Amino acid sequence: MTITDRIPDTPLLDRARSNAGYALNKMAMGLSTPAGRAAFLADEDSYLDRFALSPAQRAAVKARDWAEMVRLGGNLFYILKISAVDPTPIRAIGAAQAGLSLEDFLDQRLGKVTNG
Amino acid sequence: MAELLAGLGTSHVPSIAAALDKGLRDSDEWKPFFDGYIPAQDWVRAHKPDIAVVIFNDHGNSFFLDRIPTLALGVAEEYQPADEGWGPRAVPNFIGASDFAWHLADQMVAGHFDPMICRELDVDHGLQVPMELVFGRPAAWPVKIVPILVNTIQYPIPTPQRMWELGQLLRRAIASYPTDEKIIVMGTGGLSHQLQGARAGYINPDADRAWIAKIGADPARYRAMTREDYIAEFGSEGAELIMWLVMRGCMDDSVRTLHQQYFAPASMTGAGMVLLENMG
Repeated sequence: MTITDRIPDTPLLDRARSNAGYALNKMAMGLSTPAGRAAFLADEDSYLDRFALSPAQRAAVKARDWAEMVRLGGNLFYILKISAVDPTPIRAIGAAQAGLSLEDFLDQRLGKVTNG
Repeated sequence: MAELLAGLGTSHVPSIAAALDKGLRDSDEWKPFFDGYIPAQDWVRAHKPDIAVVIFNDHGNSFFLDRIPTLALGVAEEYQPADEGWGPRAVPNFIGASDFAWHLADQMVAGHFDPMICRELDVDHGLQVPMELVFGRPAAWPVKIVPILVNTIQYPIPTPQRMWELGQLLRRAIASYPTDEKIIVMGTGGLSHQLQGARAGYINPDADRAWIAKIGADPARYRAMTREDYIAEFGSEGAELIMWLVMRGCMDDSVRTLHQQYFAPASMTGAGMVLLENMG
């Protein structure tokens, strides 16, 4: 699946992405309850089975491949909930999407600062 | 009639909340940021607003993609902090100014804005963080709130021009509200940031500083910009800045900028604040 960005490298949650990512985002939204988080942590595969993820989306979630999740229609505000059950700093998620090491990401994009 | 006390624009970055929760308020990294709010906090405390109208976006916490209101208005008596994945934060519940909220609902629909009316609503960091930045961490909030939620996540999002017009309507609603309550209007979000895609980590401090300098004195350019302009200049999530236009549109053409600050980056975001007062 390839969705063309109207603004380069800037995936907006428009019709095409919202449709493509609906199940993936719904899966992530399920982690906003204690029961959902407990189910994910107890048996991730069984939890994922509840949602109609494509094989590629499922693989991206299992691999914690943030860039791929976004490419497949995931929206950061939903998939970020995965980082609540499997702790990952937001800037590491940013670096992964930019295709940079965390060090290079902080240096090149954010001016090598450490807040937050 | 009610009084429009001031307009305040501020970022609502969740890392600000995390820093407070972790006790990092006075750390080397964060102290300059938080200290920048002290003059505005002092001003607001001295002027004792009764109601804060807070314009913000839900970040996939209270609304899922099954139903996304372009515009929503809270009329509840009380709001609880949302569970964003880490459990609800230990901040006090927010007391709703439901009388004014229902008045605003009447005025909005009569004025051809048609919000979703919310009686039960958890509020996420988009509202929590501005309240903490302005009022600190009190045992109970010193103001009642009216939340106005704007969809900035799923496209199409509303236009900057529509946000400005909503501000103008809010002004009329305040002017026609028959109490002597004092109201502060808080437009939140931004400044520049992008959290997704290969352009993740984009910030634009020059554009942010210009925004802070001009949103009070010379906002015409920002009112005229397209949504795409906002995304290009401030990043995809930086387009949240359109919500400051509700606050600015609510104010007089001529305003005094009482306080301002800019700090970059807070986490991955340019963070800024202005406090505006009508010239009167």
